[in-house]
Amino acid sequence: MKRKWLELSALLLPGATIIAIFITMMVAMVRYSFAPGGPSAIGDGFTFEHYGRFLGNPFYWGYLADSLRISLYCTLLTAVIGYIIAYAMYRSGPLVRLIVGAVLIIQFFTAYVIRTYAVMLIIGKTGLINTLLLSFHLVDQPVRILFTEVGVAIGLVMVSVPFMVFPILASLQRISRNVEMAAASLGATPMRIFWTVIFPLSLPGVAAGIVIVYLFELTSYIVPGLLGGGYSDMIANFIYNKAMRSFEYSFAAAAAVVTLLLSALIVFTLNSLFDRLTRYERAR
Amino acid sequence: MTAHAPRHIVIRLIGAILIMLLILPIFILVGVSLNAGVEQTFPPQGLSLRWYENLANRSGFIEAGRLTLGLAVGSSIVSVLASLCAAVALARYTFPGRAFVLTLLLSPLIVPQVVVGMGFLITLSALGVFNSLFSLSLLHLTITLPFTVRVVVAALSGMPASLEQAAQSLGARPLRAFFEITIPQIGPSLVAAGVFAFVTSFENFTASQFLVWDRMTLPVAIYTSIQTENDPTAAALSSLIVVIVVVLIAIFHRFVIKHMFASS
Repeated sequence: MKRKWLELSALLLPGATIIAIFITMMVAMVRYSFAPGGPSAIGDGFTFEHYGRFLGNPFYWGYLADSLRISLYCTLLTAVIGYIIAYAMYRSGPLVRLIVGAVLIIQFFTAYVIRTYAVMLIIGKTGLINTLLLSFHLVDQPVRILFTEVGVAIGLVMVSVPFMVFPILASLQRISRNVEMAAASLGATPMRIFWTVIFPLSLPGVAAGIVIVYLFELTSYIVPGLLGGGYSDMIANFIYNKAMRSFEYSFAAAAAVVTLLLSALIVFTLNSLFDRLTRYERAR
Repeated sequence: MTAHAPRHIVIRLIGAILIMLLILPIFILVGVSLNAGVEQTFPPQGLSLRWYENLANRSGFIEAGRLTLGLAVGSSIVSVLASLCAAVALARYTFPGRAFVLTLLLSPLIVPQVVVGMGFLITLSALGVFNSLFSLSLLHLTITLPFTVRVVVAALSGMPASLEQAAQSLGARPLRAFFEITIPQIGPSLVAAGVFAFVTSFENFTASQFLVWDRMTLPVAIYTSIQTENDPTAAALSSLIVVIVVVLIAIFHRFVIKHMFASS
């Protein structure tokens, strides 16, 4: 008995050490978010001033509100695009599925900073869209997409589509072909089969994708950083700027703690909402 | 009603257009990197490899590349080994709080990267640690561990303990049974875990940027270069990395593909 516990402790030690470091960092951040002190200083003592400052000024919490709004409509758009791609893959032969799968995996494994940069080369002042528009004389001046919220939204959607496709496709592939054939043999039209059989059964995948993508987009840094260029900062950029440009560590930590709590709340709410909505689909 | 019924043509066509739009930026990136001119334009004004040659002159990129590779290799090896130990504990022992231990091991996944970075920054600064190599190593271990834990625990839980027990009943010591039976069985999953950890570490930007005091990682160097320079050097480096990614996927796709669905 004693030996079992010794073995267990030894086996769990490496992983536990790493997680202990991580949790220490998080707990310390919460502690320092209550520490008094301005730029470059982490004082002793306890204060709510940073939280008061962040939550009391619309200029500050506005970054959080904007991030919630932008990532909400981008997630919905990502869900629609991701669903279409996943469904098209589901309805295609093995070769097409392999090629599209390869494209998505390349996307998945290529660094965000590179993929965002690639989007920048399309929507930029001398990018593909403007080159095309100018050469066909559709516009006289380059259109400004880069460094606007539209540019950020395009980037967010393009970067996060793979996260949406994989769970939806997994969900679709779990649907037995018999279900569809049964519906068809009873005389349902293809449209009706899709909306009353296939789509509801694939909802768990959509739900999983939405949670992942919303959280990812809400706190993304690179896309608003490169494609917003300071004109369309989101909450992650705000935290970084407060910490690394004006060195207000405790204030930035307070904003980070609020962001963490909010994203935990969102994940919890969405998960319980989707659990309720999809309990029959998951129970099958 | 087959999968190829003509009525699915419309949705498949729309899907094809969307997937092409999705991959288009990567092709433009490669096109821009081959530009003979000094601007980041597409179509390129003549083809040349000058921006690739220019990479050799950028000692910042080379230094950053070395650090990033080292971090990615180191953190993926340590994370895979730590996950293997933890997976044996979780899959082969019964003890109270098992589910809680697994949740803890996966916990870094649910914390946004910017919050992770902020936590490391403020804590390490308060402790007076301003060494990027040390700080980034700690950071990259915590962000890669949950990915390897998930893959390795799933693999070991999916493999019946009876195989090891059979080997032991034939006289193999537990350790020998583990190394000769278990490891070869879950080998592909260990490779997949390593690939996921490597990529996670290699591409990490958001958390790492808080800890680049005296050294830069490659994503940070690329980001800075995009913001401050207008020539296609960053496009050349990015294209080079994309080519490496494509080659790696060609080699490892068999191992990673089945974990893609669970990975997000």
